Amino acid sequence: MNTEPVGEAPSRQDELYREAASSYSPALERLARGYEADPDRRRDLVQEIHLALWQSFAVFDARCSVRTWIYRVAHNIAASHVIREHRVNSRTLVGLEMLETLPIDNDGQRDADQRHALEKLLKLIQRLNPLDRQVIVSYLEDLDAASIAEITGLSPGNVATKIHRIKKILADRFHEGGHHAE
Amino acid sequence: MPNDAGDNAKSIWKNQHVEPVHVSLTELRKKAKKFERRVFWRNLREYAASVIVVAGFGFYIWKFPAPMARFGCVLVIAGVLFVVHTLHKRGSSRSLPAELTLCDCLEFHRKELERQRDLLRSVWTWYLLPLVPGLLVFLLGIYQWQMKRPGAQTRFITIHLGFTAVVCAVVFIAVGQLNQWGARKLQQKIDALNNLEREP
Repeated sequence: MNTEPVGEAPSRQDELYREAASSYSPALERLARGYEADPDRRRDLVQEIHLALWQSFAVFDARCSVRTWIYRVAHNIAASHVIREHRVNSRTLVGLEMLETLPIDNDGQRDADQRHALEKLLKLIQRLNPLDRQVIVSYLEDLDAASIAEITGLSPGNVATKIHRIKKILADRFHEGGHHAE
Repeated sequence: MPNDAGDNAKSIWKNQHVEPVHVSLTELRKKAKKFERRVFWRNLREYAASVIVVAGFGFYIWKFPAPMARFGCVLVIAGVLFVVHTLHKRGSSRSLPAELTLCDCLEFHRKELERQRDLLRSVWTWYLLPLVPGLLVFLLGIYQWQMKRPGAQTRFITIHLGFTAVVCAVVFIAVGQLNQWGARKLQQKIDALNNLEREP
């Protein structure tokens, strides 16, 4: 798969991209799942993210960490994808505040299965507007509030409020019982 | 137990089965070229409508001998070229926007919305008004030319051209209003983002 031309000296851009791809590919794949449910379109989105990352490293100026850079580019590309797709099939996207008030689609039996818990989590994420999606996906990737603030541009206080809401929503929808990771 | 639920969700999220996509640099270079070609064709499609209008009014220059009508056609073509230039300058299709890497997500999102809002809000100045003088002069030129022809039916010509002018005016106003409405909707989204930023 990785067939590079022999003898061609890799540029800094190529090196940065290679390192990013080897460390962050699974995270980028998960991120794309939060933004696109359709597998074919998701594959396109992931490739679009990789392409944008590689192109972006041509102008990487180390003003922020590589991790912040990668997540910013990935989230920005994915958010543009959501906005573009949203124009085509106009499903209503909501914020965390609205999501808290929506009825809970709870099926305790099915939730026992981790796969279904993941499907439910993905459905929940995919209902959110792009900005809140960026926060929840970053939270699930275990980034701390300061990093999420740096990536999204929200104030740390705002991120903390959103994380509090996310935790409450998750507690409401994934309460009591067997959806632990196997 | 919000924390437990959060940890469970994180665990489910991070343990999901993923097949990371491996894209070689050669593939990326190919994709970048392909993407540039796609942007080129997309831009070309955006300009196709203008080419049709320019060709149409070019044909009218040849068809109508009246100098005033011909001058109107020239003005319409100039107006269309101005619209195309503005579209190109404002970059409706860009390959890799600089904001993508320089801005955080909130700023990027806002800049995208502001760009779209400004384009819609100023639709009168860059899209509609540049075409108005040319169309008016063209219609007046046609009116004069037809009235001078032997056996011209004054009433019919007046009603016919008057109706055409009214239809043009209605279409222009409708397009203008629709774009203003779109700009207002985008402004609401921008305000919501600004409020988010003001929150502590």
